[in-house]
Order: sequence, then structure tokens, then C-alpha cells
Amino acid sequence: MEPAEVEFLAEKELVTIVPNFSLDRIHLIGGDLGPFNPGLPVEVPVWLAINLKQRQKCRLIPPEWMDVGKLEEIRDQERKKDTFTPMPSPYYMELTKLLLNYASDNIPRADEIRTLVKDTWDTRMAKLRLSADSFVRQQEAHAKLDNLTLMEINSTGTFLTQALDHMYKLRTNLQPGESSHSQDF
Amino acid sequence: MSEAYFPVGPGLGMEENFLSLDDILMSQEKLPGRAESALPRLAVMLGRGAGSAESVPEGSKLEIPLWLAKGLHDSKRRIISVELPKIYKEAWRTVFSADANVVDLHKMGPYYYGFGSQLLNFENPENPEIAQTDSVCSLQTFIARFRRIMDSSQNAYNEDTSALVARLDELERALFQVGQKGLNDFQCWEKGQASQITASSLVQNYGKRKLAEVDG
Repeated sequence: MEPAEVEFLAEKELVTIVPNFSLDRIHLIGGDLGPFNPGLPVEVPVWLAINLKQRQKCRLIPPEWMDVGKLEEIRDQERKKDTFTPMPSPYYMELTKLLLNYASDNIPRADEIRTLVKDTWDTRMAKLRLSADSFVRQQEAHAKLDNLTLMEINSTGTFLTQALDHMYKLRTNLQPGESSHSQDF
Repeated sequence: MSEAYFPVGPGLGMEENFLSLDDILMSQEKLPGRAESALPRLAVMLGRGAGSAESVPEGSKLEIPLWLAKGLHDSKRRIISVELPKIYKEAWRTVFSADANVVDLHKMGPYYYGFGSQLLNFENPENPEIAQTDSVCSLQTFIARFRRIMDSSQNAYNEDTSALVARLDELERALFQVGQKGLNDFQCWEKGQASQITASSLVQNYGKRKLAEVDG
């Protein structure tokens, strides 16, 4: 899966906007959206929010977890514990990137937020690699990691599954098993 | 799935995949061996004589590629006997168990793991224990080097990786490239290039004249 595909899935998340136009309720296949009244906040999926923002038809309100204090707490907790902390949104990385790229004027202290999220991401990836390494080193049969997001899994997934595949092949050599099939003529 | 063509990977354990390019290249590696019986008229083919009618005398030492050794190997009609190349022997095994990261696996035959698996095909009388210790050693080597490969592939973005890759054998190199690709895809996405339309590298190689040149 490409990161772009993970981002596509992330765009379904809901975010609050304040439109500056009015529109009746619209009926889409996935559900209803609206009605839109100028000045009244409404919840829409991220894909629509970004589109409206680009056309300057709305103002984005950052999600409540996208705040310097909260993100600092999350980052510190991530650094302290060995396991993964539950993230405020399963798509925190994608939402950060999208919202900060298109709507940074609506989000206070955008640069600090970007740095904090990146720090948290780096810490989580380092933990993931450490746990993958110990998994391989001790040749465990089963591991369970909670609270991982799809983007993290996607980044390391292919590498890990291929490496485990090779280990499996090397391990099957340990059981010589049936005798070789040779032809006698 | 963005690829239209899936290359066939190397085979599992003692079997090779017939269609795998890696396996084909790997089976070209040479093994030391001995001719157990005289091989009539094969001297030229095996590079040991000039005349076309010469035969390889019994007991002479040969270097045979793996595909030939597999074909000629038969425990009943003893045509050739093979021995393990020195990298799979005792001396090297202690080196591996000391520190597997230091060994330059590319120099020792670029297909260390695959070749080692294939060697189990030859039922040497002392093979069972050698096979066991050999496979265990292969596995342990792989595990020890795994960490190094993972770290270097996930952290070297846009740098020259030839120094890192020089000491890995082919299997590890493929793994390294997978890791690099994951990293590159992620960085590319983060920079926003994933949604930009760029010319495909194949088309750029055609070297077509650009529109500006045609007009002028």
C-alpha cells in the first residue's frame, strides 16, 4: 500500500469547519452532509474540508488534539513508555500533514505542532524497529503490538514480511525431511 | 498494487524456482569437487585439456558449477563427489558466530544463503550434522545482520548507499532495497510529491525532443 493510499483512507475522517456560504443538505452515497450556513460550524470529511478551503469557502477548526500542550503530553508519554500509547486519531500523521499544508493559517503555532508530531512519529518508528529486531532475534512465533496506526505499519510492513519470509526459508532447511527425489536410470 | 510484473523470487529450501533469475544466477556459482570416475571426452568442456578426445582422469579435482553438480550427482553411480566450499566450513562458522556483521558476504559468493540451502541437496555421509549446523549458522548470521540492514535501509535517505550495500549478499540487498523503497515512498509523500504528476523514468530515457526545441 502506498502512503498516498493511506492518505486517501485518512481523508474520510471528520473535521469541523465554518463555511462562509450557504447550502442545503447534500445527499451523497456515503451519507448526508450539511446543511451549510455561514458562520455556523459543521462537521465534514477532510476531503471536502480541504477542497472548500482551497476555494476559500470555509475556515478550518483544528481538532482538539492538535494543540501544543496536548501533543507535548503525548510525545512525553511516548518517550517514557516502552509500549505504544494510543494516539488521538488513527490517522494523526496524515491529518497533520493535510491540515498544516492547506490550512496553516487556521491553526495556531503550526510549526511547533509539526515538530511535535514528527518527534512522536520518530519515537514510535524507533520503538517499532526495536520490537521488530527483538522479534527476529529471539525467533518468536507471535507478537502483538497495540495502538499502531496504518501509516506506521505500511512503512515497515513490506520489509518485515520479506525478512520473515527469508527466515522461514532458512529455517525449513533445518528439517531435511523426506529423502531427495532422484531418478534412477 | 502498482506493478504489472512480479518477478519470481528464489526458491524455498532445497528446491530452486525454475523461473527465478536469482536462482539461475546462483546456480552458476562453482563448487570444488572430485571426479570419481574417468569422464571420457569431457576435458575440454571442463577446461582441462586441449584435445577433443581427452578424458578427465579419475580422482582429479574440478570446479563445477552448481547446476552441473546437481545433475551429475547420484549416490549410486559415483561420477563426481563434491565438498563444501570453504566458506561453509568450520573455520568460517566461528567467524560468523563471533560477529556476523563484519563479514563481507558479497565477496564470499554473492549468493551465500541460497547456495548454502542448495548444498543440502548433496547427501554427503557427514552431511546430517553439517547440514544442521550449517543451517543454524545461516539463520543466525541472517538474524544478526538483520538489525544492521533494517537500520541502514530505513535511515539512509538520499545518500550514497554503495558503501552500506557493498558487504551484503544478493538476498540481503533485495531486502535493503525494499526497505529503501518504503522509506523513499514515505518521504516523497510527506513532501507532497506523491500527488504531483511527474514524467515516468521510462519516458525520460527515450530522449524525445521536447516541444520547445521542435518549435524553435
